[in-house]
This record gives sequence, C-alpha cells and structure tokens, in this order.
Amino acid sequence: MIRLSMMALLLIGSTAAANMADQAQRSKINGIDLITYRTNVKDVVILLGVLPAGDAMAEPGNIAVPTLSGMMLDRGTKALDKFAIADKLDNVGAEISFTVGVQSLEIRAKCLRKDLPLIIETIAAELRTPALQVTEFNKAKQQFIGELEASAQNTGARATEAFNRAVFPAGHPNHPHTLNEYLAAARLASIEEIRNFQAKYYGPAHMTLVVVGDVSDADTQSEMSKAFAGWSGGQDYIRPAKPAIAAAASEATVPLADKPSVSVLLGQATGLRYSDPDTLALRVGTAILGRGFTGRLMGTVRDKEGLTYNIGATVADDSIVDGVWEISASFAPALLSKGVESTRREVGKWWSDGVTEQELATRKQGAVGSYFVGMSTTLGLAETILVNTQRGFDPTWLDAYPKAVKALTREQVNAAIKAHLNPGAMVLVEAGSVAASAKAPP
Amino acid sequence: MREIGIDNSCLVWAGVGCLLAAAIQAAPLKGAAAVQQAPPPASAAAQSSPGAGFSHVKSLGGIDEYRLDSNGLTVLLVPDHSAPVVTFEVTYQVGSRNEVTGTTGATHILEHMMFKGSEAFNDPKGNSIKQLLERVGGQFNASTSFDRTNYFATIGRESLESYIAIEADRMRHLWLHDADRQSEMTVVRNEYERGKNDPENVLLEEVSAAAYVALPYHHPTIGWKSDIEHVPIAKLREFYDTFYWPNNATVTVVGDIETEPVLALIRKYYGVYPRSPAPIPTVYTEEPVQSGERRVVVKRPGELGTIIVAHKVPNGRDADQAPLEMLDAILSSGKNARLYRALVDQGLALSAGAGTDLHHDLSLHTLFAALTPGASHDEVEKALLAEINKIKTSGVTPAEVATVKQQYIAEDAYKRDGTAAVASEISEWIGVGDWTLYVTFPQKVQQVTPADVQRVARQYFVADQSTTGWFVPVASKTEKGS
Repeated sequence: MIRLSMMALLLIGSTAAANMADQAQRSKINGIDLITYRTNVKDVVILLGVLPAGDAMAEPGNIAVPTLSGMMLDRGTKALDKFAIADKLDNVGAEISFTVGVQSLEIRAKCLRKDLPLIIETIAAELRTPALQVTEFNKAKQQFIGELEASAQNTGARATEAFNRAVFPAGHPNHPHTLNEYLAAARLASIEEIRNFQAKYYGPAHMTLVVVGDVSDADTQSEMSKAFAGWSGGQDYIRPAKPAIAAAASEATVPLADKPSVSVLLGQATGLRYSDPDTLALRVGTAILGRGFTGRLMGTVRDKEGLTYNIGATVADDSIVDGVWEISASFAPALLSKGVESTRREVGKWWSDGVTEQELATRKQGAVGSYFVGMSTTLGLAETILVNTQRGFDPTWLDAYPKAVKALTREQVNAAIKAHLNPGAMVLVEAGSVAASAKAPP
Repeated sequence: MREIGIDNSCLVWAGVGCLLAAAIQAAPLKGAAAVQQAPPPASAAAQSSPGAGFSHVKSLGGIDEYRLDSNGLTVLLVPDHSAPVVTFEVTYQVGSRNEVTGTTGATHILEHMMFKGSEAFNDPKGNSIKQLLERVGGQFNASTSFDRTNYFATIGRESLESYIAIEADRMRHLWLHDADRQSEMTVVRNEYERGKNDPENVLLEEVSAAAYVALPYHHPTIGWKSDIEHVPIAKLREFYDTFYWPNNATVTVVGDIETEPVLALIRKYYGVYPRSPAPIPTVYTEEPVQSGERRVVVKRPGELGTIIVAHKVPNGRDADQAPLEMLDAILSSGKNARLYRALVDQGLALSAGAGTDLHHDLSLHTLFAALTPGASHDEVEKALLAEINKIKTSGVTPAEVATVKQQYIAEDAYKRDGTAAVASEISEWIGVGDWTLYVTFPQKVQQVTPADVQRVARQYFVADQSTTGWFVPVASKTEKGS
C-alpha cells in the first residue's frame, strides 16, 4: 500500500501533492470542461476530448450523418484546406484525429509543448468552421462506404453488431443499426444534413477536453479561451430513463464463408452504469472469471482444454448509459460447440458458486497495480481522466478508485454477480464459417 | 460506426506471433525510432562503474551496454526515473529464420510453452509467471518474429526481482511436457486460424513466400499448419537447448532503476548459467538473385481488393535503410503524402502506404493499397508504381525531406513517454542485429538528402526484382450478415 502511494506521488510531477487529484486543474472555458494535468514527461503533450455527437445522436432521417460529420472535420476549414492543415501539423510532428463512437465525437492529439497553441487553434477551427465542401464530402462518403464494405467480412464486427442488437432493445443508444442500413444511409446522405447536424450537436456545452503532460494550466486555459471564444451550442448525452432489461436467451449465427476462426460473443445487458453501486463489484468479479491468463476462462478453456487462442469476459459500454456483460472468444468451427459448452460450464460454476476470498484478494491487488502501471504514460493517464469524467466522476476518483477496489468484499462481489446476471438468459452469437442456425441475427 | 482496426491482432505486417494478441504493444516497423539531438558518443569508457562480474561494453544515447563475463549475457540499461515503473525484456536471437521444413512455427510454439511453468516457478506452486505478474498488475506478453523472440513485462519497480527470478529460471529450466504441447498446439492453431480470417494477412504471406525462395523468411512466423500440428516435443526441446542460452540473449531494462543494484540482480539470477555448450548455429543461406517479376493472386470471399508490391531491400543494418525510410515517409506519412494524394484523395484506395519489414538478412519493402469499391486492381497498381517512377525520374523535394526530419525530432520526445515502447523498439533492433541503431538510425535519417532518396528508389524498385500480390474478392457462397 505504501508502495502504491509512492507511485501516485511520483506520477504527479514535481509538486509534492498528497493526492493525484490535487494535480488536476479543472475549469470551464467558454462552456468546455477542461482538465489539465502536468506530469514529469518532458515536452510531450497529449490532448483527448469528447463531445456528444456520436452515432446514437443520428436523426431518424439518416443514421450515417454523425460519422460523416466527424469525417469532414479533418478535410479543411473555411480558412485552410486539408493539405495546408496537414502541412502545419507535419512540420512540427503533431497529430490530430477525430473518430465517432456510439455517443461521442472523440478527439485525439499529441504534440510538443511549444506546439500546443497550434493544436488547440487547429482543433477549434476544425470544429467551428469546417469547410464542408461538396467534393470533400463525396470523398468522405466513398471512404465510409468502402470501410463499411470492408467490414462485411470481419467476423468480430459482424458478431458485435448481431450481439448488441440482440442484447439492447431498439432505441437504446447501444443498439446499433445494421451494416446494410448504414450503407444505404451513407449513399443518401447530403451535405445539408451534415451542416444541420454540426450546427445542432457541435458546441461547448457538454464537451470535455483533457490535456496531460508537459503543460502549463494557465497557458492552456488562455489558449482555450482565445480559440473557443464565442462558440455556443451543444447537446447532452442520451441517457434513457430506464435501463435495458436483459433479453431472453437466444442464439444466432452470422454465416461468413472461408473464415477458419469463428468469433463468439456470449452475454447480456447488465442494466448498470459504471457509477451504479454494484458495478465495481461486478467488474472485479468479472475479471476473476475472464481477465488475463489467470482468469478462470483462460485457465480452463485455453490452458487446460486448448480450445481457443483468446477468451475473456468484460463489462463494457457503461460509461454513459447502462452497459453489457460479455464473453468474447474465438474457436475453430470443429471446436465451436465444445468451446461454447466449456464456456457456459465455467460461467455457470462462477455464477452459482461465486468467487473465493483468495481470488478476490489477488484480483484486487492486481487491479490496483495495473491501474497505476497503466497511468505511467501520458496517454494512459489522459485516457483514465477522460473516461472517469464520462462516467460522471471528478478527478478525486483518481485517488478514490484504488480505495474502492480494496474495500470490496466477497459478499458484495458474489451478490452483484447473482443480482445482475443470469446464465440462463444470455445471448449467444457466432460469426464465421459455421452452418446457419434456425435463428437469423436480429 | 467506423470499424477499422476492430480486430486487434498482432503485428500482421511484420509477421509476429504472440502469446495473446490483445495485450501486445505492436512493435514498430522501421521508422518509429526517433532522433537523439545531442547523443553522447559511443565510448568504451564506462559512464558508470559496472557491477562485479560485468564488463562495460559501451554507452550510447543514454543506454549502457554490459556483458556478464561468466556467460556472455548482454545487458542494456536505460534509466528513466519519470515514473516508478520498469520494463524488463529479454530478447533471444532466434526466430522463424532459424526454422526448417517440419519445424516451421516451432519458435512461436516454444514461446507459448515458456508460459507452461519451469522447475522453480509454476502453477502448482502458485508462483508461476502469470500468477506473479497478474497479482502485481503487470503488463506482460511475449512475441515471436522472423529474427527474434522476446518476453517482457512492465511492472512496479518493487516487483522487478521477482520477475527476473522467473524469467531467468525459464531460460534453462523450462518444463517441456508433451501433454502441454498437445493442449497448446490447438491454442496456436486457433491463432493461426484467426490470421487466416484476414485476407490481407493471407496475401502478405503469399507475397513473402513468393519473394523469398531460399531464405527462411519464405515461411510465416506462425508456421505452416501441418508443422504446427505435428512438430514433436523432442524438436521443441532441441530448439530450446540450442538457442535458449545467456550468450544468445539480451536483457533490456528500462525505467526506474539504478545501475549497480539491477546488475547485481541480473548476475544473481542469470549468472548461474554457463555459456551454451555448442556455438549458436548461424544461418548461412543466401537468397539467389531474382531474375524476373513474380506475381501471386489470392481469391477468397470478400468485398474489396488489396494490392501489395514487394521488393527485396538490404538487411536492416544497411546504410540504405535511412533513405528508404525517408522515401516511405514521403510516400505515406499523413495527408500530404504522395500516396494519399495520388490514390486515397483520388478515390482509388481506402488506404495506401509503404514500409519495410526490417530483417536480419534481406528485408522486404512493400507498397500496399486497399482498393475502394469500383476501383480496379490494374489501375491502382499502375497508380502505385507511377508514384515510385516519379521519384525515380524527378526525385523528391528538399521541403519533403525537411518535413520528415521535423517529424523525427518530435518522435524523439514522444518515445520517451513510456518504458514499454522503448524496450520494444530496442528489441526489434536487437533482432535486426545491432541495438545501437535504436539511437543512430534516427540520426542517419537526419543526414538523408533528396539525392539519396532518388538513388535508392532507382536501385531497389526494379520491376524484375518485384513480387506483386493481388487479393481478388469473390462472391461469398453463404449469405452475408445483416
């Protein structure tokens, strides 16, 4: 415990702060939630940001618009075309990228300390004054359609789509549209829809920006104030009033030819958000079942029975809304039924017997250790701060998390497993070269 | 809804197998090394006094090299006190390059077997490597490539001795039981099968197999399926007893360390072993000169085509690798890259790039493009080669060269952020045959001129020396998912 505290102290840089949270500076800059955090690293700055403009925000008319809107951001601003922007960034070795997730437009950037003003200014221009030229829009559409078509034969992607559609009810943010629906929408999308979407969703109101590394809090705030002055708008995340109810047990196959490894997902909706009281207990219990080489699934299904290269269990997609509990694995078609049977056996045993005191003690220690090792890089620390914010925690959670993990009891963990999971009501999806089952994917 | 990169597999382009795909920090191809702006010169004079039993070999760019006198173990120390973590990595100079027909994939299977326990540290005792490292929250894995096998962990500094003890024990006291081989064989076979799910990976394997006739880079690191299934435990034992010796290994320690204590730990646990009883075998095979263009076609169910144009280039230590690196960056780094402008921006390709998979012997340079819907292989291949021909005839601009150099200077700072990335990259250069290139290669890139770039383009990108692969998608026999 003393050693871990030492690590926390050293991570926070030269200031002898007692807690990591004391090193984080949080401020509102023109409505943007800005968190800066100075570390010992020299020159390097990582900037991560999110704003609620993900696929779940799509208007009924066209589901491809959020992703296409994000794809237009690095294709030029009203002042500079995309090549001029790339030139500026390339000349100092800086990088900016945008991706679109379920609920968020995600911003990632890295640069040297001296170039942070350029990065902030560029991100602001790309968000606030994108050029939105029709020629570039048509290129973005072609790119998106190509990526979608390329994913049609990806067993992991196809399994995930079918699984999330079965686990979450239609209308839930985590319930995805199908590949073919996205393809059709992408072909029909117009530049006017992009303009309307950006006007409605791109704004500071619910945007978070995390800047970590060799940074000055005051200078960063000043640059942010200049770059985002006068910007307004933005929408909040979608938070359904009621969580998803676990679906009835089902099985589905997504047949794909010439795939010698079948992607398998088994699980259910949890009805829990990360910030709910039982979630941490369920997560640690799930890690005992399926995280790493000492997880029960790897120990049996892989190590003892040799049925798979990779199998693991996780709780996911619960930062903003209620999420999912899932086991992910791959099996050769000939070993598929045996692999699924072994997986279900281990889940059943884990669910009915619970975890042991020894398992919990070991896993708690490992969880805290890996938490600190993960934050030993600037990117790791930035990612932790950002996801904590999305989950509704302020920077004090940096220090509170290890304590919360250590405080978990076996009774809490086993009760959470029993309360929120039901092995008899899980969804199973197999994608690959297997015979189609009677049930097609939803 | 973008799904690019959803299948987080091991470094496909470099042909690396690993214990668990999702956990690996994919090692870079060439180019991730960054410039040291004012590196200390190589010197035989010790910067710090070595621990007892070690000879100081040299120091360069903040890295100190030592040799354990008793058995020839090489040790590289890279102190970095920015966080109280340490990455410890041991690199064995054995890879699929050392395999022959019947044992292809053996290096990689042996890497998996290294996690089955050793005499002093194993699951029944409750002190195996995975039990220790997951208990302390370490990030760990292992990987196999053409030229090297490595084992590594990033841990809190207080756990370092425990990890060194286990890592050293399995260097010479590994359990190699046939029952373990049998269960692990199917694990590795599933890893092989996962790779076969990806048509681009299959295409690269086919291109490599055609490009190399004699050198063992002909076969993929993971091996041929029949060899994976049938290699006997005796062969794995033979492999282990031939290559897993201290004089064929380099230990790299990056992070919050002090020289003398860490050398004392390494001596304590590795110093108990002698040198190998026989010299480590060398590979004496040479690739015959290619006498004409080669072509391969892979046809499988799929949606979009892919093209790879490969050329053999010198070994990874060769002076021409720096201008080749500059050429690749000009072709494929960022939106101003020539291949982006000519192929992606023109709607011919979803992505396009160039890179070299650096080898200890002849390396393989690849140009690649993922076709957009509707683009033909023929027109995309012509567009790829047209960009090469432009450089051969007109060269590159000083501004392009200057931009790449600036990017390398930024990389110098980025690479100091995190111990695992540093150790990983050093390990790749060890595999190539010279760790000092971790420091000097970026400096060499800073010396490259536009004329150098044009020269290497003319010298190596010759049609008669090329191997071109097309992945041609065919209609699926089964119905596509929803």
